[in-house]
Amino acid sequence: MNSATPATTESAAPILRLQNVDKLFGDFVAVERVNLDIREGEFFTIVGPSGSGKTTLIRMLVGMDKPSDGNILLRGTRINDVPANKRPTCMVFQSLALFPHKTVGQNIEFPLKIRGVPPAERRGRCERLLQQLHLPQDYYGKAVGKCSGGEQQRVALARALAFDPEILFFDEPLSAIDYRLRKALEKELKDIHRETGKTFVYITHSLEEAMVMSDRIAIMRGGRVVQVGTPDEIYNRPRNRFVSEFMGEVNVLEVARDGDRLRDGASGALLQGPAMPEGFTKGFLVIRPEAFRFLNGTADATPNRLEGRLYNEYSLGSRMQYQVHVGGGVFLVEKLREQRYQGQLDDSVTIGWDPAEAMLFEE
Amino acid sequence: MGALTTSPLMKRLLAVWIGAILVFLYLPMAAIALASFSRQRYFRFPVPRFDTRWYEDAFTSLSVRDLLWTSLTVAAIVTVISVVLAFLGALAFARYDWKGRTIYQKLLLLPIFFPQAVLGLALLLWYSALGIPTSWMTAVFAHLVWILPIATLVISIQVYGFNPAWEEAAYDLGATRWQVFREVTLPVLWPGIFSGALFSFLLSWGNFPLSLYTTGADSTIPEWLYAKMVSGYTPLVPTLGTLTTVGAALLLLGAYATIMLVRRARRAEDGG
Repeated sequence: MNSATPATTESAAPILRLQNVDKLFGDFVAVERVNLDIREGEFFTIVGPSGSGKTTLIRMLVGMDKPSDGNILLRGTRINDVPANKRPTCMVFQSLALFPHKTVGQNIEFPLKIRGVPPAERRGRCERLLQQLHLPQDYYGKAVGKCSGGEQQRVALARALAFDPEILFFDEPLSAIDYRLRKALEKELKDIHRETGKTFVYITHSLEEAMVMSDRIAIMRGGRVVQVGTPDEIYNRPRNRFVSEFMGEVNVLEVARDGDRLRDGASGALLQGPAMPEGFTKGFLVIRPEAFRFLNGTADATPNRLEGRLYNEYSLGSRMQYQVHVGGGVFLVEKLREQRYQGQLDDSVTIGWDPAEAMLFEE
Repeated sequence: MGALTTSPLMKRLLAVWIGAILVFLYLPMAAIALASFSRQRYFRFPVPRFDTRWYEDAFTSLSVRDLLWTSLTVAAIVTVISVVLAFLGALAFARYDWKGRTIYQKLLLLPIFFPQAVLGLALLLWYSALGIPTSWMTAVFAHLVWILPIATLVISIQVYGFNPAWEEAAYDLGATRWQVFREVTLPVLWPGIFSGALFSFLLSWGNFPLSLYTTGADSTIPEWLYAKMVSGYTPLVPTLGTLTTVGAALLLLGAYATIMLVRRARRAEDGG
């Protein structure tokens, strides 16, 4: 577990439990046999590419859809058939779904108005939420359409917090925001999570985004949960090639067993990999760009050496990335800027890596 | 801008062109208004002497009062029915995806493409075949056949811009189905419903061909105007014509004022 994560009691009963949840649309299986335990107070993120079933899943968790089979338990009580407006949970929508005919204040106060909270009390709660989310107080009477993208995010979050949900769901609310603002809002959201201590369940297609915010991450593919773990676990011990590739740019080598070594299909090189699983014949060797080193002569004793040509160089700010061509294969190599390669394009270079730093998958 | 900037000469020509269009469009209406103030019994232009006697006649005449009342009743009933049906119809037209939707969208628009004179005759034939006596009530139905599709289209435009997530969000935040409708659906679609109502009223108020066939012994203002033009012109024709136009204009202004007031009230509702 991440050392900076607030302590959660592992043994405590989960606030939300999914047991063998299925969702079928006709013959199409959108969600299949999903089992998950979400703990009280954690920031839990469900990550998957489009079509992985994550949106279908969250719609069932919120109460907008019913599972075809299985159980959804909120603090041990089955809530499959409880409609969304009777559940003590709410969601921040992908489109934010701010009411266009209401002001910022009226949007935030909406759940309180529905509950019959008197206007004066509503106003007080709204003002505190505006303050908590760093929105100016005079935004109270502002039309939501006149707010910027980032401000609308905060208004949507304030409205959901005004509901005071037991679990707050997020359906990719940051996906339409430009990169820099998104990075800032990710951190802000994690801060809000700390301040409120509420259980957040977030879905996104970006593992990078999930990594920044989450206590734990579930990765979905084709309607199934592929792996659940902390960001550290997902990063260091991805369960399969899909998860490792989902993390970002990696080098994937199609390899076959050759004695106690691996033969790379593209370059024909004989490589030494990490420990092979029982009965391994062929699979994929995944190497992160930062695992590579540029080798000088034979001083470095690594058994994995590939000779190639430096084809191109990309500056990524604090890091430098290189494209190296080895036979028919293309490799991405990444170095910190201070450790950048000293030389020119088209140089002959030798790259190498430690066998233990690569990951081997059968599928 | 560059290539898109217009030279001063082009600007002047454009102004002349727009002015010509306005004169062409509005001069005839101004002529009618002037004629209504004429002393003469016959329609002559320019008007030799001005007088307001025809307006006095119009306001005191019982038959004019009947005409106004018939036109108003028909238009009001058409408006109410068409707004309710067109609102539901617009949801089916633009909001929900259902099996017969494309066919429905095409069938609904069919009456608009029929010449109204033909539509009126067809309805009259039906009424007599079914033995329904024609009156202002059968005219209400005839108007609806033609106006309902238009009102549906007008409201649909608003419905197309409606994000279903607004309703889902309200529901998710604890609102009942009725609260969702009252707090979100209706207020968001309100401008569309409002313009649908205006269209319905004005199209019924000014309708001639459908009324001609289907009002039976009753008569609306446009019918009466036509009848008097064909046989027995009186200066009441331009007078009533002007009055109905002014009435329609007042309705539009009133509607605009209402929208402004509602907007202001909404903003002030929670002290914003």
